[in-house]
Amino acid sequence: MKCSHVNKLISQYVDEALSPDEKKDFDSHIKDCALCREGLQEARTLRRLFASAERFPAPVGFSTRVLANLAEEENLRFRFLIAIRPFFMRAAQVTFALVVITMGILSGNLLVAEKTETIEQAAVVREAFSLDLFQATPPDSIGGIYSTLMRPNHEI
Amino acid sequence: MTSNDDSDLIERFKKGDRSAFEAILLRYQDRIYTLCRYMLKNREDAQDAAQDAFLKGYRGLKGFRPESSLYTWMYRIAVTTCLDYRKKSRREVFRSEPLTEDLPSNGPSPEQLYESGEIPDSVQLALQKLPEKLRAAILLREMEELSYEEIAEVLHTSVGTVKSRISRAREQLRHLLKKKFD
Repeated sequence: MKCSHVNKLISQYVDEALSPDEKKDFDSHIKDCALCREGLQEARTLRRLFASAERFPAPVGFSTRVLANLAEEENLRFRFLIAIRPFFMRAAQVTFALVVITMGILSGNLLVAEKTETIEQAAVVREAFSLDLFQATPPDSIGGIYSTLMRPNHEI
Repeated sequence: MTSNDDSDLIERFKKGDRSAFEAILLRYQDRIYTLCRYMLKNREDAQDAAQDAFLKGYRGLKGFRPESSLYTWMYRIAVTTCLDYRKKSRREVFRSEPLTEDLPSNGPSPEQLYESGEIPDSVQLALQKLPEKLRAAILLREMEELSYEEIAEVLHTSVGTVKSRISRAREQLRHLLKKKFD
């Protein structure tokens, strides 16, 4: 094993992550190489420094603050849902009305298609189902009679 | 602490028991805060990052998949949050300072923080000089004593990359500390 390769394996050696064969080769190199031995010693010292490095307890009141922030966040979400509720209700009403109208039109068309045999018959039935219920001047009303009388080519 | 305890807490949380999250918070707050203290330069940022990590954890806990362990999942959130904090603070420095390398930075250097007691020991001082990815890997190994596999899970990378990052981190730290103590 060369020094450059041993140097790369020092980290895994201190973590005891080398395979038995690698460890054997590593140990035999270290025995004869002062430079690599020094590298290994430094890596072990580093581990000890980390082991004695300070562990910080969370600051006083940390968990209380996190829980308070969560409660505030949930409260905001709830208030937002309450605030947008009227818009949802109106949207639901409009959607429902549109669905009812669409179903009415579709079912009317289906009825016409099923009950009629010719195109002329279908036109008559369609007219009967038409939403155009309000003729401004039906022929038998006063307005209708007046309109008929006022036509230029009307014969009395 | 066992992963069985964690599984129970997660199950209770998913059933709507809020006190289960409180138990998770109390169980992990010191470890997450320590990780954030070593990842970030000052204690205010560390406190904010640790708090954000728990808030993110709370929001994501309902979708937590039992195939990973809770602590690696929490560490992953904490590391990502710390990296975001560092990016943010870099952007702020970039916005507030002219692009002249000769001018000194407004913020304190790691040495100044060390002398003022903000950075408590030489290891943390040296850690501040490591690239972020190497720092995260070595901290998870040395401070949290995670295995290579667990670190790979936290950092979302391969075991080979973790081995390489830890090895490079140790080498750089050895040189930095050697310089300091020589």
